[in-house]
Amino acid sequence: MPGISIRNVTKRFGDLVAANNISLEIEKGEFFTLLGPSGCGKTTLLRCIAGFLDHEGGQILFGDRRVDGIPTHKRGVGMVFQNYAVFPHLSVQDNVKYGLKARRVPAREQAERASQALALVRLEGLEDRLPNQLSGGQLQRVAIARALVIEPEVLLMDEPLSNLDAKLRVEMRGEIRLLQQKMGITTIYVTHDQEEALSISDRIAVMEYGIVRQVGKPWEVYVQPGDAFVAGFIGTTNMFDSEIKTSEGGLAIAQCGGVSFGLSRSDGVAQGSQIQIALRPEAITIRDIEEPVPDGHWVLEGEIIRFEYLGSMIKYEVGFSENVTLLVVSYDAEPAKIKNVGQRVKLSYPIERAKTFRKDRPQ
Amino acid sequence: MKNIFQSKNLFWNLTALLIFIAVIYFLVVPVSSVLVGSFQTEEDGAWTLKNFLSFVKYRTYWKSLANSVGVSLAASVLTIVMAVPLAFMVSRWNLKGKPFIIALSTIPLMLPSFISAFAWIILLGRAGIVSELIRSLGIPFDSIYGYFGVVMVFTVQFYPYVFLMTLSGFNSVDESIEEVGRSLGTGPVKTFIKVSMPLVLPGILSGTLLVFMTAVENFGVPMVIGEQKPFLAVQAYMEFTSDIGQHPGMAYALSVVLIMVTMTSLMAQRYYLRKRNFIQSARGRPEIKELRGWARRFATGYCFTVVLIPLIPFFVALVISFLEMRGPVIHPNFSLQNYSYAFSHMARPIFNSYFLATVATLISVVIGVPAGYILTRRRSSIGDGLDFAIMLPFTIAGTVLGIALIVMFNTGFLVLTGTWMILALSYTIRKMPFIARSSSSILYQLDPAMEEASISLGVNPMKTFFKITIRLMSGGIIAGAILTWVTTISELSSTIVLQTPGWSTMTVEMFQGILSDDMGMASAFASILIVSAIVPLLIIIGRFKEEGSSLF
Ligand SMILES: Nc1ncnc2c1ncn2[C@@H]1O[C@H](COP(=O)(O)OP(=O)(O)O)[C@@H](O)[C@H]1O
Ligand SMILES: [Mg+2]
Repeated sequence: MPGISIRNVTKRFGDLVAANNISLEIEKGEFFTLLGPSGCGKTTLLRCIAGFLDHEGGQILFGDRRVDGIPTHKRGVGMVFQNYAVFPHLSVQDNVKYGLKARRVPAREQAERASQALALVRLEGLEDRLPNQLSGGQLQRVAIARALVIEPEVLLMDEPLSNLDAKLRVEMRGEIRLLQQKMGITTIYVTHDQEEALSISDRIAVMEYGIVRQVGKPWEVYVQPGDAFVAGFIGTTNMFDSEIKTSEGGLAIAQCGGVSFGLSRSDGVAQGSQIQIALRPEAITIRDIEEPVPDGHWVLEGEIIRFEYLGSMIKYEVGFSENVTLLVVSYDAEPAKIKNVGQRVKLSYPIERAKTFRKDRPQ
Repeated sequence: MKNIFQSKNLFWNLTALLIFIAVIYFLVVPVSSVLVGSFQTEEDGAWTLKNFLSFVKYRTYWKSLANSVGVSLAASVLTIVMAVPLAFMVSRWNLKGKPFIIALSTIPLMLPSFISAFAWIILLGRAGIVSELIRSLGIPFDSIYGYFGVVMVFTVQFYPYVFLMTLSGFNSVDESIEEVGRSLGTGPVKTFIKVSMPLVLPGILSGTLLVFMTAVENFGVPMVIGEQKPFLAVQAYMEFTSDIGQHPGMAYALSVVLIMVTMTSLMAQRYYLRKRNFIQSARGRPEIKELRGWARRFATGYCFTVVLIPLIPFFVALVISFLEMRGPVIHPNFSLQNYSYAFSHMARPIFNSYFLATVATLISVVIGVPAGYILTRRRSSIGDGLDFAIMLPFTIAGTVLGIALIVMFNTGFLVLTGTWMILALSYTIRKMPFIARSSSSILYQLDPAMEEASISLGVNPMKTFFKITIRLMSGGIIAGAILTWVTTISELSSTIVLQTPGWSTMTVEMFQGILSDDMGMASAFASILIVSAIVPLLIIIGRFKEEGSSLF
């Protein structure tokens, strides 16, 4: 069942196309994230959905109710803002009741629902505090309670955690996810933090320059990036430009700075085409020179340039020719197996883990 | 343009349009008729250049331009000398009682400059108390009448503009910016000149331009202390109202010259500010230099002296008002005669001042707050026009506005000349821009998400404006309204032109008192005015410290 349908929505600011013909189908109860670098149009799209901006073409539907043209205050959206936007002149309780009053909910019920909402975000006992007596995390909880208490059809959150410190951010995102699942409320969440997006979402739309590059489950966008931008934006990736030298049977071989990379032919690349290769650091296994390599792996030999010991893992930078290096992550951090700088090593990866993207992709 | 009449924007666009029309009808048209009048003969309205030719020909006229500009320029330079070092010390040194220094510095802006001029004469006039003292020491000294006096009064009255704007400039130069400069190997003095000064310069310059504009349009000070020397605002008034023989055409021509001067300086300011990014991120704080012992005491003493000197005349006026007087002669006996006279004969002007200021302030708030809201939150093609319309009153000297309103509302379909409404109208025109500006600057600091949160919770934009926006602005609006009220009761330059029998004000009575050497009455009125200004000011400083600070 559809929760929110966005069909061919475009928004321009003068010559700038901040949202370019965007279409998304969001399931009822889904936690959907808009992810992308700053300025890519996430807020713009969210504000179109909320009704703060009028989009130019296309439609927006909540369920099967068309909402574009309906002013924000009649759309039934709950919003959570980056700067909390908690009313400073109202107590915690009155902030939460604000939307209920507007809906003319009887006073008795107001109090009941407000205290339930505050319990949900674990703010019991702070009902009568004024916002200036609360911490950032508490303020954001008030904002969430205030948005949830009106039982909105959709919940919209624009980088709600970016003003909190790193530790609280991780803690709060877990709470937000739990709350959302408990209430089953259709949610659109905006963030530029890919780790946050991966950890919290049912599905993610990755955006760049007002365009949705890819929509998918967290593991889909991570493991099967649809284009070079998505591959580069989510997680860490070894990326290089190269050219297909040979392409025979199931195997294509590309060359970059004198180093050959084996690629799966299923990507349909023809000989001579210019491509970009994306190879995740954890897809590469690092081995001693004489160690055997399983079938279906491509093998490279290189030299350790430097390494970073991070406890649970080790990051190696391995060099081949002067300007080709690979970042490799090894979770085998056993002291005896740590490689030294200058040591020659064998690298291998399953050829299907090397993603190729055609350079001539339409921008 | 297409969505100007969409229902969503309808209310605000209509409001903007109404304000726009009001500005045109009550300001642009009247001033234009002055402009037109300056090119017509008084007798039959035929086109002529006679008035402007007279302006060039007669010494009194062209000299009045030279005097006004010269004196204002001199005052501008002196305010820099007075205010910039002061701002530097207050910003960067650990002086004692800084909030007091800043609070004291704002007082001169709130009190009528001609009272200051009047009291300086009591001290340094021909028979002044201090003048006598100086002469008794054997130093030849006549008085401060003339150019020197005008420049001095302007300087001590208007320096706060430069001080406050420079102060916020110095405060917003981040310590780290200066550190970077120093770490690149430049010495502290050079760093200051090369790194900090360019950041502070816009503040200094726009403060100075404000001083210039305020000075050039000032009517009371040259009238009181200028000793018959011609000045533009005074001359225009004289030509317009003189008992001997009125020359309205000449008054119009002088008004046009005055408008040209004020317009030019406003344009210069806007042009200059547009090229510079005035707003710096004030994340960090500047480094405060820790002075110790005598150095600290000396610097603190110096700063207090500088901010207290401009307050001396007001203190003198207060004291004198309790002394016995016969004409210009002061007898050192305590007496309430001045007050009993003021209250028994002049209750009406006191009431008038309060009444007119209250009416004008209320109207200014009702129009100015939505105008400020449109300026910041509803920026559209209409918003830009509004911005310009709201700037306009700043360029029209009070005297000129008075003349223009009389000309416009003398006859025709709306006759206001001779009623109290024309005074209220003039005050509203002059003060509304201030409320609009200050509302807009309060709104800049208010996160729009606050209003959006309310709307998303189901409260429509209109109600949100009243329940959230106005509520969050209220402290600032009240502070701004009080300041408006305070400066309105001391308005002289348009009042003097527009006053009608029965609607004289305290400033007018006081002014007449000064001119007719009735020092007793003048000082009593001065004191009432001072108290009427200081009390609300203290309320603001006490209650609305936060909001009030954004108003200057
Ligand atoms: N009101 C506006 N007027 C003009 N340009 C805007 C406006 N709002 C956003 N933009 C521009 O649209 C683009 C997308 O902005 P935004 O949606 O805020 O990005 P994000 O939220 O992904 O950081 C940016 O280039 C931004 O500068
Ligand atoms: Mg954004």
